[in-house]
Amino acid sequence: MDRECCWNREVIEQADCPRVGTGEEELLTLKQQRNLEKCCDCPTFLNDLNALRNDANPLAPVLASFLAEYCDQKTQIQSLVSFLDNKTLEIRFLNELGHVLQSSVDLDEVLSVALTAITAGKGFGMNRAFLLLCDREEGMLKGYLGLGPRNLEEASQVWDEILQNDMDLQTLAQNFRLNKLSSERAKFHDVLEQLTIPLSNKDHIIIKALDGKRPLMVEGAFQHPDVPHELAHLLGVDTFLLMPLISRNRRVGMIIADNFITHRAITKEDMHSLETFGFPVAFAIERASLYDKLQVELNRVTEAGKKLKEQQELIVRMENMALVGRITSSIAHSVRNPLMIIGGFARSILKSSPESDPKRTFIESIVAETRQLEGVLDEILNYSDSLYPTRDFWDVNQLVETALRDTTDSLLSLGYASSYVSGYELPPVFIDFKQLSYCLRTVLQNDINNIGDDRSIAISSVRGNDCVILRIDDSGRRISQEELDRLLVPFSETRDLGAGLGLALCKTMLEKQGIPFEVTADEHNGIRYTITLPTRKEEQL
Amino acid sequence: MSKLLVVDDEANIRLLYAEELKDEGYEVVTAASSAEATEKLQSGVFDLAVLDIKLKNESGIELLQKLVKERHDMPVILCSAFSCYKDDFSAWLADGYVVKSGDLTELKQEIARVLAKKAQKIKAGA
Repeated sequence: MDRECCWNREVIEQADCPRVGTGEEELLTLKQQRNLEKCCDCPTFLNDLNALRNDANPLAPVLASFLAEYCDQKTQIQSLVSFLDNKTLEIRFLNELGHVLQSSVDLDEVLSVALTAITAGKGFGMNRAFLLLCDREEGMLKGYLGLGPRNLEEASQVWDEILQNDMDLQTLAQNFRLNKLSSERAKFHDVLEQLTIPLSNKDHIIIKALDGKRPLMVEGAFQHPDVPHELAHLLGVDTFLLMPLISRNRRVGMIIADNFITHRAITKEDMHSLETFGFPVAFAIERASLYDKLQVELNRVTEAGKKLKEQQELIVRMENMALVGRITSSIAHSVRNPLMIIGGFARSILKSSPESDPKRTFIESIVAETRQLEGVLDEILNYSDSLYPTRDFWDVNQLVETALRDTTDSLLSLGYASSYVSGYELPPVFIDFKQLSYCLRTVLQNDINNIGDDRSIAISSVRGNDCVILRIDDSGRRISQEELDRLLVPFSETRDLGAGLGLALCKTMLEKQGIPFEVTADEHNGIRYTITLPTRKEEQL
Repeated sequence: MSKLLVVDDEANIRLLYAEELKDEGYEVVTAASSAEATEKLQSGVFDLAVLDIKLKNESGIELLQKLVKERHDMPVILCSAFSCYKDDFSAWLADGYVVKSGDLTELKQEIARVLAKKAQKIKAGA
């Protein structure tokens, strides 16, 4: 029998078998392998087999039967290999995805990865995906993010770009997050806004799928009785997939995926793959959301810790100040009694000594010196007291009247006239009454110590915005700006009485209470003290 | 003649007050502590008490509270080294408040004022 085919030759040439292609040259010398791979479906070999059958060779039908079985097995094996290859790719993809999802606690990163995986060719290859998240506080399922082209032109551009750059899934997701997240959100803003559904709307197909916790393929959406007409038109596709995101039996959100551009049919395999993918995504989204909340709480705790530290520092400072205050007042108190005794007895002696007594001058000096020292002590004690103001709501008129009552005698004895005009319906002011009373007395005392021609002091109060403005005008006092500035500097006065702390101490006391104190001088109109008393506590402002 | 009780733990201050107030025409009895003051109060009737806020190892405030409670008809003038207490105590418990000073003019004026007020009150009550 003449053979047409080369199957029986140990070694053949390239030209002998057109089925051996470039890169398969080794098959030219490997007869058995060549027979298995190339001869089975070679028409020339089949011709030889037919010729053998025509020659009534009893092996021919057996050989044909073996050959058919072998080809069938070979097809099955190839199909299995292809299936395994696909599954391997899928596992690799899910592994890669899982790695990213497990390692990220950033919600935007998780969402970028999830939606990129659904829409990327290297992933599930859907054209478009929308993510909706559950807002438990508001009881709504809200459109959060969309990804995919809005039209064919954009689709071609995006897919070309992806092909050219040949990025892996993680890079694609990173690229999306960094460059496209906000623009995609804005792009699908209108759609996402309409994809807001109350979780209580149990009849809505999306809520049904979410409650059912199983993916749902929606086909024939435009005619589907359960699909609201608006939803079908909003998505603009007849077929879409609803994939609920469930984590630990809790509803996290929903992914709506479709093939808006290519209209490729969504298979059951697509649905199962996406279902497998849905679990880690839901878990990662929930974890990232919890992490976000944790971060907010952490910031709150950090802020509270910072405030606590400030409070602690304040307490330490106050304790130090209180200590200084206690020491100061203790020293001052210890000095006060001996001073008083010296001054008191000196006055007694002076009172009973005759005018002609040559030692009378010495006693007068003792009296004067003790008086001055008492003035210094008063100011030191007032200063230590000013370290801890106690504030409450007080009546302004009561404050002014108390100060005037305490100084009236001194005012009258020096020929001063004082007047007070109260504002209409004044609200209570939030002050340390004791300190404010001292300040008013000091201001008045400061004025009456001054010798001027016009001896009148006018006090007035007027209601302001969240405050009462108290003004003390001494029209008779002529003072230069330099002197005025000096008035508010401690120990700058040179009077016989006092240490010169008076007005400076008042300013410090008032500043500690956050009360503005201004002194303005005008060569024609005299001097004006303005104290702005708050009518609300700081926390109310 | 009005009878005054002066309570102060400083002997020299008691002496000074006594001398000066006697010169003003008052009868003056002194006490160095709360216990002594209580004792003196039990043995006589006083028109007014002059009380130091800070007594040795005890608070004049407690004695003040006791006096206000038990001798509400007897006015009390507080003396202290601290001018800052003035607005507190003059408004609350005591009938007068004087910052300690070698110049006793203010104390004398305050005593006269409080006694005059008391006399006026008695007259109005009668």
